[in-house]
Amino acid sequence: MTNMQRILSLMTDPSKHTSFFVKYEQRLYSIIASMWGHSAEAEDLLQETAKVLWNFSPAAADSVSFDKAAKAFFNTYCPDVMIRILVIFSVVLSPALVAHAQSEDRGSIDHEIKTFLSTHCVRCHGPKKQKGKVRLDGTDSADVELLRGVRAQLRDELMPPEEEPQPSAALKRRFLEQLSVVIKSAGNDGKLTEDKLPNKGNLVPHELLFGKPAKSGNGASLARIWRLSPKAYRSMAGRASRSRDVWGNLVEPFALIHERGIRDYAALYSMDQPTTEILVRNAATIVEAQCAGEMKDGKWRGLSGSEREFVALMDPGRTISDEDVVAAVAKQFSLVLRLKPTEEQTSRYLKLFENCAKDGDRREALKTVLQAVLLQTAANYRSESGDDEADASGRRRLSPRELAEALSLALSDGWVREFFDAADKGKLETTEQVEAIVRDVLDKGDRSPRLLGFFRQYFDYASAPEVFKDHLFGLEERANDFEKMRGRFPKKMQEYLGSKHMPDNLVVDTEALIEHILKEDSDVLRKLLTTDRTFVNVRWDVDHKARTKSVTQSFKRNAWNDRGIEGPHYVYGFSEWPKSQPARVPHEKPRLGILMQPAWLVAHSTNFENDPVRRGRWIRERLLGQAVPDLPIGVAAQIPDEPHHTLRDRMQVTRDSRCWKCHQWMDELGLPFEQFTHYGVFRETELVEDPEASRKESYKESPIKVFRSEKLNRTGEIANTGDPELDGPVEDAYELVHRLADSERVRQVFIRHVFRYFFGRNETVEDAATLQEADREYVESGGSFKTLVASLLTSDAFLYRRQE
Amino acid sequence: MKMKNNPFQFDHNLSRRQTLRGLSLGAGATLLGPLISQCRAEVDGKSDAIPKRVVFVVQSNGLAPKRIVPEGIEFKEHGGRTHAEQLSETSIVDKQLPEALSPLEPFRKRVTLLQGLSGRVAVSDHSCNHGALGCYSARGVHGQTIDSVLGQALPAVFPHVLLGLGSDGKESLNYAHSALARDTPLPAVCSPDLAFRSLFGSAEISGKAAFNRKSHLLDFMGDDVRRTRSALPASERHKVDSYADAFESLHRRQNAIGAMSDAIRRHTPDLGDRRYSTTSSEVLEAQFEIAGAALIAGLTNVVTITSGSGRQRFGKFPELGLPDLHSLGHGKQANGKTKEENCITIHQLHTRQVAKLAAKLDAVKEGDGTMLDNTLIVFMSDSGDDHHPRLYNWPMVLIGNLGGRLKTDGRYLEFPGYGKTNHSTIASLYTTILHAAGAPRDSFGQDDISLSGTEQGAPLQTLLT
Repeated sequence: MTNMQRILSLMTDPSKHTSFFVKYEQRLYSIIASMWGHSAEAEDLLQETAKVLWNFSPAAADSVSFDKAAKAFFNTYCPDVMIRILVIFSVVLSPALVAHAQSEDRGSIDHEIKTFLSTHCVRCHGPKKQKGKVRLDGTDSADVELLRGVRAQLRDELMPPEEEPQPSAALKRRFLEQLSVVIKSAGNDGKLTEDKLPNKGNLVPHELLFGKPAKSGNGASLARIWRLSPKAYRSMAGRASRSRDVWGNLVEPFALIHERGIRDYAALYSMDQPTTEILVRNAATIVEAQCAGEMKDGKWRGLSGSEREFVALMDPGRTISDEDVVAAVAKQFSLVLRLKPTEEQTSRYLKLFENCAKDGDRREALKTVLQAVLLQTAANYRSESGDDEADASGRRRLSPRELAEALSLALSDGWVREFFDAADKGKLETTEQVEAIVRDVLDKGDRSPRLLGFFRQYFDYASAPEVFKDHLFGLEERANDFEKMRGRFPKKMQEYLGSKHMPDNLVVDTEALIEHILKEDSDVLRKLLTTDRTFVNVRWDVDHKARTKSVTQSFKRNAWNDRGIEGPHYVYGFSEWPKSQPARVPHEKPRLGILMQPAWLVAHSTNFENDPVRRGRWIRERLLGQAVPDLPIGVAAQIPDEPHHTLRDRMQVTRDSRCWKCHQWMDELGLPFEQFTHYGVFRETELVEDPEASRKESYKESPIKVFRSEKLNRTGEIANTGDPELDGPVEDAYELVHRLADSERVRQVFIRHVFRYFFGRNETVEDAATLQEADREYVESGGSFKTLVASLLTSDAFLYRRQE
Repeated sequence: MKMKNNPFQFDHNLSRRQTLRGLSLGAGATLLGPLISQCRAEVDGKSDAIPKRVVFVVQSNGLAPKRIVPEGIEFKEHGGRTHAEQLSETSIVDKQLPEALSPLEPFRKRVTLLQGLSGRVAVSDHSCNHGALGCYSARGVHGQTIDSVLGQALPAVFPHVLLGLGSDGKESLNYAHSALARDTPLPAVCSPDLAFRSLFGSAEISGKAAFNRKSHLLDFMGDDVRRTRSALPASERHKVDSYADAFESLHRRQNAIGAMSDAIRRHTPDLGDRRYSTTSSEVLEAQFEIAGAALIAGLTNVVTITSGSGRQRFGKFPELGLPDLHSLGHGKQANGKTKEENCITIHQLHTRQVAKLAAKLDAVKEGDGTMLDNTLIVFMSDSGDDHHPRLYNWPMVLIGNLGGRLKTDGRYLEFPGYGKTNHSTIASLYTTILHAAGAPRDSFGQDDISLSGTEQGAPLQTLLT
């Protein structure tokens, strides 16, 4: 077979496109990245690519013309002309390399792996030593699990140790790519690869998505099914029966993973046995409620929340016929799925009914059948397979019903009637129709929990109550007096010198602020980062009269004097609770945007201190769009317990070169927030323990801490972003957020996160056009979040599916 | 079987031997062929064939080392570290158990207390989560946990029963402690009602017809779900497969349970209102009763009972005046008592249940002894030595000797301190149990990289017979 034939076969068989792309995706990324970046290394990489491409063994080629095939292939996978040229160059125009590569087989990959490992790893992980119980001599491409570990260590620059000889950058990259190929080609048996996981979306370099204008056209996502979210499951149950029994007795079968950030990803969730057991039980609960009836005055009638047609069949005086079963199944389908069962399904349900009715009780048998309808795949997974008909490029548009469900669950926790009505009326056929109705639903809902849900997960402020702190803390300016009283004087006396920590209220405030900004719907991201407004203890806002009024008053006035310093408004820097909200924060105690909301600061703090590392990590990942390595296994780094030093000083330990490898991505971005205490209170100085003075103070022989003020260093630096507009030192947190808010990159990274939330997956290089279009529309609309969402939900990537 | 009023009273006439004889004659026994022949072998006196059982009881919020030191034994620690140079052993046969463990007094001769095994690899701010039973980093699910491994090594209809008390009495499932494999956490069923239904549901009043309907439903669903797979791209099929597999394995289990229905009915616990209770201490009581009954009925050989659901969710006991275990961990007084007194109250709440369970197992004859003789109960905390664990020393309490395969008869052992020659980690305890259970391994979980030079995970020879 000639080289050209191989290419032809690759390009003419659509079923191979994806596997081809998936297999060599990483390598293509690198080529492209390096062509745009360090072009010196590009040639080396191209040769590498050619080599790898030719390890692919295609089936016999047919006679379809090269032009046609190449066009289909490139339109689908290489929308950018640059990439086409590169691929053609690397594949076709390097015949010498190709010939060389053809002779290579798996054995040669093994050989390369072995050579690398024996040069750089085996001395510590071989026959003599097995550091960390890892042994790498004899490892080949079959040991995929082990190689995954090797790849992660190497990629995150954790191995080889610094004091050991290092592989050259080119060699390292080449080896990493080789590992990626081996690992990808090993398949994953349904297991998740790292790039599919939440918080790993940034592994796709930003430049690949926004570096060059991407051509739109033929966008599509992979066909998939997506397990219902916990709330959507509840909503499904609610469609079947509105009985209170159902609401109260359902056991939660689905949970989202305990992870930070956006986490309802379609790839993550499947049903295991314990979950299924709960589903079976819940189905019984639901059906019982649907069929619940009682005899009253000699008449059989349904209870509240029951379904009329089912109750009628439960009448003790009635015999259930096969026709009744068919009708009941159809009713259950329409309630839960808004679908009609197929004939084949109906006959299977009838068979189930007959089996169950053998014992004589036809009513119970019918209930079992109704449970089966609730348990089917389609009731618990949302389907995104696409219509029966594929278009010229092999894409299938979501069927109107699939689209109605996808749009509903994108914008709501349950089904939105407008979408389903439109689907029934044939009004979800064109993209314009979809756009009109999406805009309509977005404009009508003034308070959408799904939209807010994005910000909750993106900013991660809602975990503030999970960070345990003392419920009462000393006022900054009275800290020493507070210490003397702590635990010794009546609570009321302590409160005189302290403020209450009320994290739940702080979260409500931040949420109110986000809703306020969303309502204005202009320049949303900038306002989120830089607004000088805030809500203050809005949970007890006088406008919410249902809330306890007395509590409001006690928060406004201190019982011990009239100064009114306690309560959340102290945290925000107000001397009294502002009646008109959102209020402008006092200018002498400034705070800007969500990142300086106490809820966010508390959520990103530890029990007793600020957490500059997690704050920095948040900015690095969620605003700068870069990947930070996970905490290496076995690292138990502790910040020294030296209360007489500032946190910034104590964190110097991370500057050790071993730690700094990772900490350089985080610390300097988080340190400017030392402006605030770990309760989120603005401060001018940092209080540290004064050991001399502490020694002298005691109460009944137990020591009392004495604090002194240290000068507050609020500086930091944005570095290593690859964007010269962004990089550079910052004076304080205010400069930091302003520079971030001005950045195009930050805006685009925000859009990447919105994409992840609404698509339930990480973006890939193929989504570049969708992202760029969403960015453009967001900018042109003056920063409207609704426009951004509408753009994503009407993109081809949302509307179309392709099989692999 | 009236256990409710006095748990230590047990009907001695009802031996496991009889139960098994009855079982093997029951209808549908063919489905349980291998299991029953194993049971028959037991009855016929082949002691090796008597199943071995392991129970893990994992309590939140730390078990301080000093709380497992019996009277008259010297124990020194500094900053969580112990400094023993060599393994030291004291018999506790004649010593009084410390207050936290006092409910275990009747079993003193079968109790062994371990001091000085470290678990630094799992260090965390609070709970070590899966790291406690997995012996690995507390962040993430890095592999199979010891209880799950044992579930496979000691098979039964339910290979591994996980019960728990969640962060309050209301949580239904929590995935915080056990794992089947990397990234595959297993849920502890935290609702006694749910646990009861899945283990004893068939024997309930529901009757044969309901049982059959459920069998038909499970059978139908396995097939129904499987049919949807062909419409999906290959990469998505595993989602449908796992759902269909779940129905199929529930169906198989349903058959197995059906075959054992006599035994199950005889051992169904009477939980009364506790079955639906959301009061923490009642949930805990109910879960221990369910665990005991499941073991005695032969439904399982491995049980994990967790209290608290990992991370900072320690559980709440408002009924004891202890609604916030977190502030308790931080030394806050409650009920007019010190932290120490309150911690001991909570330990006793758990050890009392452990003692009841042990008594129940001891009341069932098996081979030449009782079921307890073939059982090992491990009592520990998922945050090791403290609310904020340091894990230089992870105190462990063992009850029972697993059919004479462990030397755990009334010993207090202090292992060499962290970093000393011959220091051991909890991995060694886990491999020791695996050796005793007939599934030997010589390493477990992740190594503590700060402990160079020690053979981590080598079984503890002093415990093996």
